[in-house]
Amino acid sequence: MANVFHDAFAIFLFYCLHLYLPLMTNKTKLPQHNLWDTPWGYAESFLIAFGLLITGFVMEASLGSQTAISLIFPYNLILLIAYICVLIVLYKWASHHPIVRWLSKVPASITSIVFVTLLVMIMGIIPQISSENYIVNLLGLNHITTNWAFLLIIGLFLTCLGLVSIKRIAQFNKTNFGFILNHVGLFLALTAGVLGSGDIQRASIELKENEANYMAVDQSDGSPVELSFAMLLKDFKLEEYAPKLALIDNESGEILHNQGKNLYQISQGENYTYEGFEVEVLSYLSMSSPFGSRYVKVNEQGSSPAALLKVTNTQTNEITENWISCGSFAQQYRSLKISDKYSLVMTIPEAKKFSSELEILTKNGERFPTTIEVNKAHNHDFWEIYQLDYNKGMGKWSTTSIIELVRDPWLPVIYTGIFMMIFGAFYMFWVGNNITKNN
Amino acid sequence: MTWINFPLYSGIVAVFFLIGLAVLGYSYKKPGTFKFASISFAMGWGVLVLFVVQLWLELERPPMRTLGETRLWYALFLPLIGGLTYLRWRYKWFLAYSILMALLFLGINYANPETYSKTLMPALQSPWFVPHVLVYLLSYAVLAASSIVAIKGWVDYYKNKPETSTLALADNLVYIGFAFLTLGLLFGALWAKEAWGHYWTWDPKEIWAFLTWMGYLIYIHYRHFHPQKNKQALTILALAFVVLLVCWFGVNYLPVAQTSVHTYTQY
Repeated sequence: MANVFHDAFAIFLFYCLHLYLPLMTNKTKLPQHNLWDTPWGYAESFLIAFGLLITGFVMEASLGSQTAISLIFPYNLILLIAYICVLIVLYKWASHHPIVRWLSKVPASITSIVFVTLLVMIMGIIPQISSENYIVNLLGLNHITTNWAFLLIIGLFLTCLGLVSIKRIAQFNKTNFGFILNHVGLFLALTAGVLGSGDIQRASIELKENEANYMAVDQSDGSPVELSFAMLLKDFKLEEYAPKLALIDNESGEILHNQGKNLYQISQGENYTYEGFEVEVLSYLSMSSPFGSRYVKVNEQGSSPAALLKVTNTQTNEITENWISCGSFAQQYRSLKISDKYSLVMTIPEAKKFSSELEILTKNGERFPTTIEVNKAHNHDFWEIYQLDYNKGMGKWSTTSIIELVRDPWLPVIYTGIFMMIFGAFYMFWVGNNITKNN
Repeated sequence: MTWINFPLYSGIVAVFFLIGLAVLGYSYKKPGTFKFASISFAMGWGVLVLFVVQLWLELERPPMRTLGETRLWYALFLPLIGGLTYLRWRYKWFLAYSILMALLFLGINYANPETYSKTLMPALQSPWFVPHVLVYLLSYAVLAASSIVAIKGWVDYYKNKPETSTLALADNLVYIGFAFLTLGLLFGALWAKEAWGHYWTWDPKEIWAFLTWMGYLIYIHYRHFHPQKNKQALTILALAFVVLLVCWFGVNYLPVAQTSVHTYTQY
């Protein structure tokens, strides 16, 4: 399978070159333009970007990725400001220098977009996890985002983007509006994303019901993180979907899901058809306990769902009637054998919604009650607080809630960029290819 | 008002939409009849709005928690965006496509009533779900159309009579599709921040969505500055669509799929 993708990739590369060659030959055909004569065109852009790529891979092979810098505040902010200042200076006082001119022209832009695309494509094909392949390890192809080659190419890309953005801002007029939204938005989102990544802090904390905790664990290195506030878990709640009815192969024990078509959510009174069997749910109890050979409704910890099934073999008209249950941490599961080949089982119910009722306790003695759930985070003291997990073994009886805390001081900059691009997209939709026509 | 009333309401909507589609088809011959198609679409849409509003009031929560409810929102917004796009760009086929897709979603809900309450994992239960999927649905349709136009461009090219209007149409479709694509990507990022704590995690599906975006970005920049080089532009457009297809269908078959959070196949 992997070979197919390598081949596909090779074909893609071939096509890219195919695109380039006519451009390169077109350029070189002009009598007055030799390679490296200014202004530089596609051939030079391609060679420079290719040079950067090779340099990056050589650095990766010789220095390794451990040397790739992960900047933290305030150095990343200083670097960002310095970088933007350099770009402004280049635009203002060096715009006639061949390199600056090249960087602010189309061949460099398109070439850098193509090279970013190629590197991201590697990321999209080679899994970004530890590898045993020599080449992958040597060139760091399994950690592209921290790869020197990627950083150099992104640097080229951002420089092109930054220079054209500054140019358009400096020469602002109404028709530039969409251009600025899209380009500056992307520049802000990308630079803040790349430079700010070192400042992102992710920690998780395990809370037990009626206990307060303020010691979280950093997810990157497992070191303890002391929070400026404590969290008290008042209650952990979990709602479940009804379990599903599944057919399993007696020999292999595997679920014969038939692409999901053989899985039915259990509901009292429903009829389901499996290969040669009619199944009717005579009774369904969401919380029950075994009592002799049957199940009865109970309301206690560790009770499990159970269903009474009537199974008719449509060929022999043989009828079987019995209980099945998926069990719980406290109870055994129970399946129903319907033939030598098949059995019916109940799957463990899936979570529908889980939430933690919390109280945030500050050092000044203030208490802030809040409820968090998946997709509904809460913000306190620059920490974004997420519902992450719970004790899966206990299911809905879990009294443990795992909370994730994320701090990303660069988020406002990134959101500014994202929202600029959203407005830019609306602008694009509205104006369409008039953008092209006007030029 | 509950889902029990759904067959009646969706039936009325379907009748209006189908009449509208028939008239829309006819309006290619007699342009004057198009306004009757729009009236029919508007009435069908009004009935659908009525149903959603009443369902919302009845459930006392936004109907956005199950797959069936999600499909209902697609059916509601598709004609709206199709209509707005028509008002701006006068693409009748796109309006027809959005109405057909809306009908398809209503049809799925009608044919599989049990999936009204089908399980939807907590991470997917978000107000971002509908806009995120919706803009991608529209984006892929417009970009697919731009590829069809590109095929026409190739045919023109080999017949040695390239028409500039063909590429102008492809450009416009790419701009609209790219706008939707950008929105899909960014809505996804905003949602990811809500659900997973980070706006960008280089998940395989994200990577390929980004690559698709870059592919069309190359096309747009290339066209903008080299409006005369039709053949190269068409090649880029074709390649970009290949990347889009990988993103849409292909990612699950790539070796990277094992690390993706976008594979929601549940067994």
